Amino acid sequence: MLIDTLITGLVAGGTYALVAMGLTIQFGISRIMNLAHGDTIIAACFASFILFSVFGLSPILALMIVVPAGYVLSDAIYRLIMRPLVARAPNAGALEVDSILVTFGLLFVIQGVLLVAFGGNYTGYTFLNTPVDLFGTIVAANRLLALFLALVFGITLIFVLSRTRWGMTLRAVSIAPENAPLVGIDINRAARTAFALGGALAATAGVVVSMYQTFTATIGVIFTMKALIVVILGGKGSLTGALIGGLLLGLVETFVAAYIDPGLTLAATYTIFLLLLILRPTGFFGQAG
Amino acid sequence: MWSRPIWVMVMLELSDVTIRYGQHLAVDRVSATVAPGETVVILGANGAGKTSLLKAISGIITAQPGSAIRFQDCDVTGTPAHEITGAGIALVPEGRGLFGGMTVRDNLRLGANPARARALEKERLELVHDLFPRLAERQGQIVRTMSGGEQQMVAIARALMSNPDLLLLDEPSLGLAPIVVQELFRALARIRETGVGLLIVEQNVRLSLGIADRGYLMEAGRLTGEGSADDLLTDDAVQNAFLGTVS
Repeated sequence: MLIDTLITGLVAGGTYALVAMGLTIQFGISRIMNLAHGDTIIAACFASFILFSVFGLSPILALMIVVPAGYVLSDAIYRLIMRPLVARAPNAGALEVDSILVTFGLLFVIQGVLLVAFGGNYTGYTFLNTPVDLFGTIVAANRLLALFLALVFGITLIFVLSRTRWGMTLRAVSIAPENAPLVGIDINRAARTAFALGGALAATAGVVVSMYQTFTATIGVIFTMKALIVVILGGKGSLTGALIGGLLLGLVETFVAAYIDPGLTLAATYTIFLLLLILRPTGFFGQAG
Repeated sequence: MWSRPIWVMVMLELSDVTIRYGQHLAVDRVSATVAPGETVVILGANGAGKTSLLKAISGIITAQPGSAIRFQDCDVTGTPAHEITGAGIALVPEGRGLFGGMTVRDNLRLGANPARARALEKERLELVHDLFPRLAERQGQIVRTMSGGEQQMVAIARALMSNPDLLLLDEPSLGLAPIVVQELFRALARIRETGVGLLIVEQNVRLSLGIADRGYLMEAGRLTGEGSADDLLTDDAVQNAFLGTVS
């Protein structure tokens, strides 16, 4: 029971972590609070579903198509919709408010397209649904793979952003955008890159989720909501915070459901959220100011 | 010793640079030059427009139409700030403009981000560590936790990492203890010896003229005087305006 709960929690948490990393990178660097983030994930779930059921492509191979597609499409969305907002925003605060309104609209556009194309029913496919014996507990192989992929992508991203020059320039923009041009950084380009990178992460999360879970066109908002909680839990703009916060949220949810009452899952999530907002509003890894 | 044939070579040339903030005229048709390797000081009281002038040169703000800024035979008027650094002008702004949450090492590495500096990162780092040995000891320290003087060293070091031909310094001594200011100007004198041009905006008249070749006087957005550093130090107008009140 304990190990079973632990693994279920980590699998869910790994997904939350990926989802939150995408959101936090868009918010921290592009200053865009993307409410359509969850719907990008669901779009990737459906893309993965089509590739699997129509073209017989395994989700592992689907990653190689869907993730770059997520990057390119998000880049296009940024050029088309976000750039005019960035150009007219007098400050970061105004851009955040504008971006919330615009991405709220975008959410319904993506959702509407998915509803028309796939209907409102739960969809899914069976991939690698073979039982694996792990410390005496039976776990589906697809869940373990999902956890593995989430951790690999998450840790690679943290490593790239903290060790490479490219990553360092993105971090610099998130820390002090007004100072970035002094070291030759084009902040508009950095913002677009970060937004596209967030889209690629959403796409990754979508493929990973679709491997072990069913989905509908309308559940994107749940991912966005949980990602928001994780981002605030881990500290705005902190990738390490998002990774640890995501895993933590998954574990808390699963343990509360297993040992207390499944009906209290959301209540537990929001209790943590509230306590954190009161006691440490900058999050675990956030920086004040 | 470096010879400075000003009449032959001009590295930076400002012609009729005008800057407005809405109705407010901050800089009024300023023309000035800096020769390669020359150290020039702009002296003036608060609000004279010195900071605005440096911001316009470095592309942070846009000068009014009719202004012309030429750097090494290129028209750089209106060039965005991130490209100016790549062209060879590095600004150490008021407030230092550092990435406070990052380490000294990361700030310096970021300084070498412009394309012209990437291949030279190692040599530049050696130079900078040689100029400021304390930064070599403090590589892993988060910049925000350092003293004001140390942060100013990081800011200057970061600007030098970009391999500039011209270094712009906006009130580098502001808010620093006198002993730290002395140390800072000793470092600036050594930076000058490396052949980089310096354009310094300062209120500390004696120390800045002490390391400069030439100086301009700025008042209410206009240049009101110009002269060699030695002449300005003994000039009556400068004496009355600055040296009487500034220790």
